[in-house]
Amino acid sequence: MHGGMHFHTLCHLSSSANTTYRADCCTYDRSETAISGRIRAPNQIFGRPVLTIVIATLALAGCSGPQSALDPAGVEASAVHHLFIVMVIGGAIIWAMTIGVLAYAGRTRPKPISVRGASRLIVWGGVAFPVVVLFLLLSYAVWLMPQVRPWLPGAMDGTAEIEVTGEQFWWRILYLDQTGKPAFETANELHLPVGRRTTFRLKAADVIHSFWIPALGGKMDMIPGRDNSLSLEPTKAGIYRGPCAEFCGTSHALMAFSVVVMEEVDYLAWRAARTQAPVAPQKTSGQELFFRHGCAACHAIAGTPAIGRIGPDLTALGERQTLAAGTLSNTPDAMIRFIRDPASIKPGVKMPAFGMLPDGDIEAISAWLGGLK
Amino acid sequence: MSATDLPTFTDEERAGQEERLRKVWTTPSGWRYWTSVNNTEIGLWYGAAAFIFMLFAGLLGLMVRVQLAVPDNSFISADLFNQAFTLHGTIMMFLFAVPIFEAIAVYLLPSMLGTRELPFPRLSAFGFWSFAIGGVFVCGSIFFNAAPNTGWFMYPPLATDKEYSGIGADIWLLGLSFIEVASIAAAVELIVGIMKCRAPGMRINMMPLFAWYLLIVAGMILFAFPPLIAGDILFEMERMFDWPFFDAARGGDPLLWQHLFWIFGHPEVYIIFLPAIAIMAMVVPTFSQRPIVGYSWIVLAAVGTGFLSFGLWVHHMFATGLPQMSLAFFSAASEAVAIPTGVQIFVFIATMLAGRVIFSVPMLFGAGGLAIFVIGGLTGVMVALVPFDWQAHDTYFIVAHLHYVLIGGMLFPVVAGIYYYYPLFDGKKLSDRFGKVSFWLMFVGFNVAFFPMHFSGLRGMPRRIFTYPAGIGWDWFNLISTIGAFVFAFGVGVVVIDVVRPKKRQPRCEQNPWNAGTLEFISEPEENWGVRSVPIITSRYPAWDQPDLIDNIKAGRYYLPDSPMGERETLVTTVLDARPVQCLRVGGTSVVTMVAAAALGGVFIALTFHWWWITIACAIVTLGAILYWLWTGTAKIPETQDYDVGLGLKLPVYASGPASVGWWAMFITMVGDGTAYASLIFGYFFYWTIHEDFTGGHAGPGAFWPMVALVLFVLAWLLMLAARSLNKANRIRATQGVLVLSTVLTLAGCGAGLAGPYLYSMDPTLFVYPAIVWVVAIWTVVHGAVAVIMQLYCLARSLSGRMTARYDMDLVNVVLYWHFMVITAVTSFAVIGLFPLLR
Amino acid sequence: MKWLREIETFWTLFTAPTVWALHFLICYVAFAVFCAKQGALALSFDTVRLALGGVTVVALGVIVLSAWLAWRQWGFGTDDPPHDAPTDEDRRKFQGFATLLLAGLSFVAVLYVSVPLLFIGACQS
Repeated sequence: MHGGMHFHTLCHLSSSANTTYRADCCTYDRSETAISGRIRAPNQIFGRPVLTIVIATLALAGCSGPQSALDPAGVEASAVHHLFIVMVIGGAIIWAMTIGVLAYAGRTRPKPISVRGASRLIVWGGVAFPVVVLFLLLSYAVWLMPQVRPWLPGAMDGTAEIEVTGEQFWWRILYLDQTGKPAFETANELHLPVGRRTTFRLKAADVIHSFWIPALGGKMDMIPGRDNSLSLEPTKAGIYRGPCAEFCGTSHALMAFSVVVMEEVDYLAWRAARTQAPVAPQKTSGQELFFRHGCAACHAIAGTPAIGRIGPDLTALGERQTLAAGTLSNTPDAMIRFIRDPASIKPGVKMPAFGMLPDGDIEAISAWLGGLK
Repeated sequence: MSATDLPTFTDEERAGQEERLRKVWTTPSGWRYWTSVNNTEIGLWYGAAAFIFMLFAGLLGLMVRVQLAVPDNSFISADLFNQAFTLHGTIMMFLFAVPIFEAIAVYLLPSMLGTRELPFPRLSAFGFWSFAIGGVFVCGSIFFNAAPNTGWFMYPPLATDKEYSGIGADIWLLGLSFIEVASIAAAVELIVGIMKCRAPGMRINMMPLFAWYLLIVAGMILFAFPPLIAGDILFEMERMFDWPFFDAARGGDPLLWQHLFWIFGHPEVYIIFLPAIAIMAMVVPTFSQRPIVGYSWIVLAAVGTGFLSFGLWVHHMFATGLPQMSLAFFSAASEAVAIPTGVQIFVFIATMLAGRVIFSVPMLFGAGGLAIFVIGGLTGVMVALVPFDWQAHDTYFIVAHLHYVLIGGMLFPVVAGIYYYYPLFDGKKLSDRFGKVSFWLMFVGFNVAFFPMHFSGLRGMPRRIFTYPAGIGWDWFNLISTIGAFVFAFGVGVVVIDVVRPKKRQPRCEQNPWNAGTLEFISEPEENWGVRSVPIITSRYPAWDQPDLIDNIKAGRYYLPDSPMGERETLVTTVLDARPVQCLRVGGTSVVTMVAAAALGGVFIALTFHWWWITIACAIVTLGAILYWLWTGTAKIPETQDYDVGLGLKLPVYASGPASVGWWAMFITMVGDGTAYASLIFGYFFYWTIHEDFTGGHAGPGAFWPMVALVLFVLAWLLMLAARSLNKANRIRATQGVLVLSTVLTLAGCGAGLAGPYLYSMDPTLFVYPAIVWVVAIWTVVHGAVAVIMQLYCLARSLSGRMTARYDMDLVNVVLYWHFMVITAVTSFAVIGLFPLLR
Repeated sequence: MKWLREIETFWTLFTAPTVWALHFLICYVAFAVFCAKQGALALSFDTVRLALGGVTVVALGVIVLSAWLAWRQWGFGTDDPPHDAPTDEDRRKFQGFATLLLAGLSFVAVLYVSVPLLFIGACQS
């Protein structure tokens, strides 16, 4: 199959256990050393001794899961990670010094110093030092802003564009073609090429959501009535996870998406397969039941008469990493459970329960959906 | 004045004086105890209520932690979780952190300033009752499964979605608006108290640092809370009447709420933090046994923080897609505010180095808090940098940051304050052993609970999630956090036990048990008069530098040792040099404050449930209670011009204009009111910036009627100026005539103000432009209506002989109101009438 | 108007931070309006940037002036703190010294706020 499966096997990301993400990607990252030439890893900048401190400070940062800003796999995330490490080291030194003096003054009862000396401490420690350090730090960060987010609204030509709409509690994903017209729709899973900048046009259908892929870069809110955009450039292939980062209602916690970052060849192949005239899926009783029970009123599946717009697009559902916006791993059992009573898994979801259907019907529907590739 | 110049009273004279003072300042017994307005009672109730709310919110926090202890937990439902974290934040901010400082201030300030009372004790009582009623209303909602569930920040459109947020959002908006009224009342009380009611001789260079801090904080409240009140108004108009202020489909914008909320929300953090640091600024010199090094530096830090804190609000909105330039300005100001914060820490360290530190429980909590707070400050510097915040925003990194700041910078110093000031309650110290145990439990528990959150946050754990999948890299961090939270809670529990455990057998400690240099320990737990006589201050640390001061105060050898007229009296002094200028008679025990607060609470509660008739009835009772309160309790014509306050000094009892505290209260209130109004006007222009055509093609109010209204209001204002002059010239009949005429013009102006939007059939539910025009017009007209009530009040005072040429405080204060009224009216009608023509 | 004089001298403490606040507000509002209304305004980004650079210089000038006045009030630094004697003179010196400190903080804060003008060259978000 296409790239998705390829990485699936490499990363073992989606295991049979219920919604268990294993951070096996890390192994993959290391073996491939897929670091873009444009961004230097911290160890190239600091050299060994400092790196040891960093590792000691962030002992757990090396392999920290599929949703971690401490394991950068994108241009922005790497730059911010670098900034963070500078600040952590500086901050740790400042804290130790300040608290050291405080403890010295409080616990050892030294001989009182003169008022003049004490005033000098205020001027140098409390004023001069922070003024200079903060000025440098501020300049660094402000300089960095246009570096990591350089694009201008309306001037995004040349980059691939994807429109992502936050809805309670899932992500509508619309790939756009070169002219900005819709190419194809999917939901809750992004495929991105490594080493290329992709621009996301961020919209909200109901309330405010926030689009965030920690491994690739910072977040951007999706606000009704506002056109926000964000562009990210992945530097490492792998499978990552993005959560909704703005509280959006009952199941805010259960609104995530997978991000499959692929080598460009694989990505282009995947995209081409999606853009081609859809092939009608194999007809089974599951398909027939899907239409008979009205699922198509809300869901669309390319190549079938299902064109519902209320719920997520289910085209090639079998290929996805997860179900229900990052809530369940993509297994037949999970799908059956979800169809039977979505609200028990995801409180506040709009989809009604189909527990009144015979078990056989649900199993057939689920089998058919799981087979969509 | 040397001690030899002070009078000496015989024992009988002293006994007589004390008996009279005791009678005047007595706290009633039975149920009437609750009608007391004495600062020690109000402060105690305020503090106890705030503490109880804190414990309740703490339990909610523990619930949240239990739910998050393990992945895929089902301890509580998603909806209950959302209510729990919303209330946790809301209660901690609005019902604990701000009120506890108001409580401490009301309790401590009079004795610290060497005065009897704050200038408006009844206002304090009113504030307390408003707070208590509103607080119970908001907290109680969770027992009816009706608590707000949209986060303490209440972002629309989630919070304007009635199906999702139900009545909880209304409870939040109206309950807290009510509490905000209490906070503004406290701000008025504290500003006037600190500026005008210090002991003679306590110049501004000698004020206790606590007073400096609170002066700044009260000023900040005045500018920070009104934008939230304005936001609440817009919000409720949308929820009740479908005016689309935050509905993007009809031209509104959810971001306007975020602006208004955070213009309040960020200064709020410093409103919480500065008073706690103020406690430290009292504790550190005492236990270093020397004056603070760098008094001016602390003043710099307090004032500087006060200003800079208003340039930070957008750092809560770094991910909303505003231009990077805008973000960077706020980032810069957020870095700058770290400077004064650092200065304060170094002032404390310098003071400790220049003295010999006596390590005690208050110092333990102070130093431990500092160690925690510095981490929060450093992570604050990090998240104030835009690129880092794009990652950290709305993650557990922020949860860690804010708890490090607030618990290290606020809760630990407050506990230090409890251990330090407890002897003021009943003359006994809290236990050292309990203190040490609770400190270590709290300190270790806190760090175990919150330090791992830095990691879970950067590993991508968003805030406000009720569950999370296993294996994503957060499991252990969350379990450790939950364990730490319980250890921390035990520590807080130990403090509670130490405070409430019976201490009957424990011997009394000395009156100034820590040998503090400032005056607060002169207050005796058994007496209600605050200070026995109002002293003359010649030092920053009078208890150290002025020998016999406390004995002389107790012997009644200073000002106001007696109360011959049976009135509660205190001194008013000048702002800079604290020269005595007036003997102020303050309000005593009264049930009217409770009635007014209860009725006003009724207004807000009835509005929540849309019981319109009850709302109106409660509003009428509120108005009646306030008018009764003013009529019977203020601007009383005294029996004498020159009143002997002791030490050969005669002072007026009645003052009007800027010399009076009432004028200042009006001025300060109107500054707050003007800030709320400015926020509405900000909203008007905000909509202009976000739309190509901000009218959305809808008709405006035209220029004619707004201009008519503008002219009528200006004329009414001119007539009020005339009325003041005529009254001064003792032309009473003419004054009354002009007042009537001005009232009529005001009413006409109100009508003309509404005529524009009404006659052009502006439908506020169609689009945001008509809605914002209506809101501006209604705001102005409501102020016009209040002006009419004031005009009629002055007329009645004049007719009943309670307002004369010499005793004209009512009229002078109403004219002051009118200055603000005319600015509001001119701005409103020029904006809604003329601005659309400029496009 | 004795009260006015007294209040005025009390207010001098707040001059420098008020200048900071105005400078901050002008910078923020200028770019908020400019970036929202780019189409309707015949101004370039750099024009606004330069103008705000000018505003910054003026703001720094006013702060320096207020610092000089405060320095004078402090007796040109002839007398070190604590300024805690119960005299009008010490009260004035305290005010002068505190005002000078605030001017320093405001100066730094204005400089900080002008940093974005150097590094950010467009309305990107």
